[in-house]
Amino acid sequence: MTASLLAAAGLARELAAAVDQLRRITVQVRAHGAATGAGILWTGGESEGRGLVITNAHVVRGDRATIELSDGTAARGRVVARDLKRDLAALEFEPTSATPSAAVRDSPPLRVGDLVIAIGHPGGLVGAVALGIIHGAESPREGRTARWIRADVRLAPGFSGGPLADATGRLVGVNTMTHGSLALAVPAAAVEAWVRRSHALVAS
Amino acid sequence: MSTVLQSLSSELADAVQSAGGAVVAIHARRRIPASGVHWRPGVVVATNHTISRDENITVTLPDGTTAPASLAGRDPGTDLAVLKLAGQSFPTASLRPETPPKVGELVIALGRPGPSLTASWGVVSGVDGPWRTWQGAEIDTLLRLDLAIYDGFSGGPLIDGAGRVLGINTSALARGVPVTIPVATVERAVSELLERGSIRRAYLGIGTQPVRVPESLVRKLELKVDVALLIVSVAPGGPADRDGWLLGDVLLELDGAAVSDPTDILAKLGGDRVGRPLAARVIRGGQVKMLQVTPGERPKSRAA
Repeated sequence: MTASLLAAAGLARELAAAVDQLRRITVQVRAHGAATGAGILWTGGESEGRGLVITNAHVVRGDRATIELSDGTAARGRVVARDLKRDLAALEFEPTSATPSAAVRDSPPLRVGDLVIAIGHPGGLVGAVALGIIHGAESPREGRTARWIRADVRLAPGFSGGPLADATGRLVGVNTMTHGSLALAVPAAAVEAWVRRSHALVAS
Repeated sequence: MSTVLQSLSSELADAVQSAGGAVVAIHARRRIPASGVHWRPGVVVATNHTISRDENITVTLPDGTTAPASLAGRDPGTDLAVLKLAGQSFPTASLRPETPPKVGELVIALGRPGPSLTASWGVVSGVDGPWRTWQGAEIDTLLRLDLAIYDGFSGGPLIDGAGRVLGINTSALARGVPVTIPVATVERAVSELLERGSIRRAYLGIGTQPVRVPESLVRKLELKVDVALLIVSVAPGGPADRDGWLLGDVLLELDGAAVSDPTDILAKLGGDRVGRPLAARVIRGGQVKMLQVTPGERPKSRAA
């Protein structure tokens, strides 16, 4: 009994720590003054000294949005790339201080039943957490990543564009839509590939 | 870094993987397939309501291959069906019949609505004693779940954190709310379905509704209870009809026990009652009257 309670306490503590870490890479994206969704701080890559935020295209319909970091500081973001088919958008902003960025899970592949953590801002509640598991593994076709990560986690509007992470806080996807109580996320690997491609486009 | 969280994650995935090796997809209706569990070697348990045809049933095995299956029996009462598979060797489910699930226990519902396995998690939100389905089957334990059930999950297993099966999930027994048929009930149904192809249940052919007997009548007739069952329908040609029961009779006792709820009748109608007369006490025309009825066998997929 005591041992299992200790394990439960350890679980709660580790979950809180993982959530803390994830909240620091999750931003609020506001367009037209209202919070419209979440975003993920991404490694800047080629744009030196600039901060990069990944969110859903449906979260930022215009060219500009306000980005509010977890420490409360706000910055003006400019949309530098958009992909309506994948529902992704990338925004650049000038950070006032050093910002953390998401660590992407490369391997091993996710298994059905693996724990996942989602962070978002439903109904103005900043940095809310939802816990779930991987619902199904879409069998990826030869040489292609699966289109969606499907998770059994209950999300609400406001989670769009925010991170879906594994039990160690590494990013596995960008929460994009729900289908009943199922959450669909764009796989992090697909986002990485898209960011590389769009940066090449912006640079040229 | 986060060791407890990480090991919980991989233990859940291990449980899903090991139990998933016995979960199949059942193709026996249009649109989405439903799930089934390899229960005993060559025997797959599925749900009755997801099987809309008796022939041309196929099963997708965990390795992705498709095999033909034959329907060995089905029971609308428990919503269970049993299929037979020939010449396939893959693991059977590991069952947990001895320790019943506890309220708050972490559980996973598995399904295979197609080639790949799907899972949802949650907790057992309620555990209660035996209950009766609306078609008269007795289920050993009422297991209520706090988890999302997705299309095609019916017929799939509810598993514990170690991947052991606690029962079969169905959405057809409680108005779409998922319930789990516990292992003990499934075991009993499987044995009877393999033997007979159906589950025998006695049947009277009446519909009833509880009514309060007026106090004056309670006093006049010296009744011990004041709630009884008004007979609101009598199936033409059914056992009660043949034995002279009438619409409007108020049933007080059946087989020596007071009845105040339709499930009290079902409790007297096990499969062994077919053909064995039951005595009944009714109020007819303001008088208490003794009647008899010889239960018949419940027709397939009919209520009352």
